[in-house]
Amino acid sequence: MLWVLILVGVAAALLLAAVWLFNRLVRLRNEVDTGWANIDVQLKRRNDLIPNLVEAVKGYAAHERGVFEAVTEARAAVARAASPGAAGAADAMLGQALGRLLAVAEAYPELQASQNFSELQSELTDTEDKIAAARRYYNATVLAYNTAVQTFPSLVVARSFGFREREFFAADADERGVVPVAFG
Amino acid sequence: MTLQQQIRANRFRTAYVVVAFVGLIVVVAAASASFLGRPAAVFLLAGGLAYAVFAWWNAGRMVGALTHARPLEKRDDPELYRLIENVSIAAGLPATPPLYLVDDPAPNAFAAGARPSSVYVGVTSGLRRLMPARELEAVLAHEISHIRNRDVRLMTLAAVLVGAVAMISDIAFRMAFWGGRGRDRNPVQIVSAVVALLLAPLAAVLLQLALSRRREFLADASAAAILNDAEAMALALRRLQLDTSEIAYADRATAHLFIESPTRAIRGPGGFLAGLFQTHPPLAERIEALEQAGGFRLPPA
Repeated sequence: MLWVLILVGVAAALLLAAVWLFNRLVRLRNEVDTGWANIDVQLKRRNDLIPNLVEAVKGYAAHERGVFEAVTEARAAVARAASPGAAGAADAMLGQALGRLLAVAEAYPELQASQNFSELQSELTDTEDKIAAARRYYNATVLAYNTAVQTFPSLVVARSFGFREREFFAADADERGVVPVAFG
Repeated sequence: MTLQQQIRANRFRTAYVVVAFVGLIVVVAAASASFLGRPAAVFLLAGGLAYAVFAWWNAGRMVGALTHARPLEKRDDPELYRLIENVSIAAGLPATPPLYLVDDPAPNAFAAGARPSSVYVGVTSGLRRLMPARELEAVLAHEISHIRNRDVRLMTLAAVLVGAVAMISDIAFRMAFWGGRGRDRNPVQIVSAVVALLLAPLAAVLLQLALSRRREFLADASAAAILNDAEAMALALRRLQLDTSEIAYADRATAHLFIESPTRAIRGPGGFLAGLFQTHPPLAERIEALEQAGGFRLPPA
């Protein structure tokens, strides 16, 4: 009789632990999804900005066709990207292409002086900063989620209920290293 | 301590502050019933409870009035708004809280608001002028951390509830000792004296129990993590340390809200209790904690 009680007790404790771990995994995964949605908003905002920027530069340097094509292509690649990893790679490509576009624009003082162009440029800088900020948050949520998926005991629950690891959104090479922070 | 644990602890502490306030009001009303009669006691009780309900809904605005903060529009300072937007995104907040400006040359900042829809970040014009963007961002990240881990609700309610207790005790203190003279003390004065002598220390202990000094260390560490830049936070704190000016509109009720203790020694009646109200760990200790976490060393002040 006692053994039965002990067995039932252990089973109940295990079940409770499993429920708790499962809920934790769901919460972490939802945070990853929210983090990705934040990046997506900023990527879309930048993609909406780019055609205007390209048009503005085109007005002065129509012959630089290669640069415009590279920007347009990279922009499409970002919009097309199906996974965070692919989006990160496309994002790096777009960054380079935009750098070239702005370098072309520098050769035209009138373009630089135009109100419209400088507004577009500061909007672009702002969006890039926000993408970087959203990426920091997203990568932090992915780190927390992946750690839970890979470590015992949540690993057991993750395996049985199909919680898969998520991809990081690739960071630029020049990004500052991770600061180890101890709470308390 | 993870973010979830911090949020849970803060929820518990908030409930504790509210219950303690209501309990205190009930005790004071009960104690005064025998001296002042039942109608006065009922009036006290009803007033106290009405104040608590009012405070729950208006605490953010009340703190704004206490600190003389006024809303800052995005077009007034787009650069500062961009910084706080970026920090909010990096912290994963669902929305960017609005900014308030306190026209004061002393550099300081705070976050306030009892409900998620009413939180805001206040900065002084001195802070805005004094700090470069990198350190400004760190200060904003510190305040955003207080918002994210629900410190703000606790701190704001503590400000208006414990602040009210402190105010009542100040008034009672005056009534008791400056009201009449000689032997003709009336019952009101005796009650006032008892209330003043019991209430002020009680309020102080309450505040100390509710607001652990670890809160500031945690917010510093979270800010460093949000920005991935512990040095910026340390540099900002160093700049606050080097500045000796004091903010004009800060008192015992709101002191704990600020990033740095707003006055060296808080003045006013009951000043002997000021030590009990020291809610901030020394800046040097906070800088040291960041140096250890980030593995760097600032040049000595």
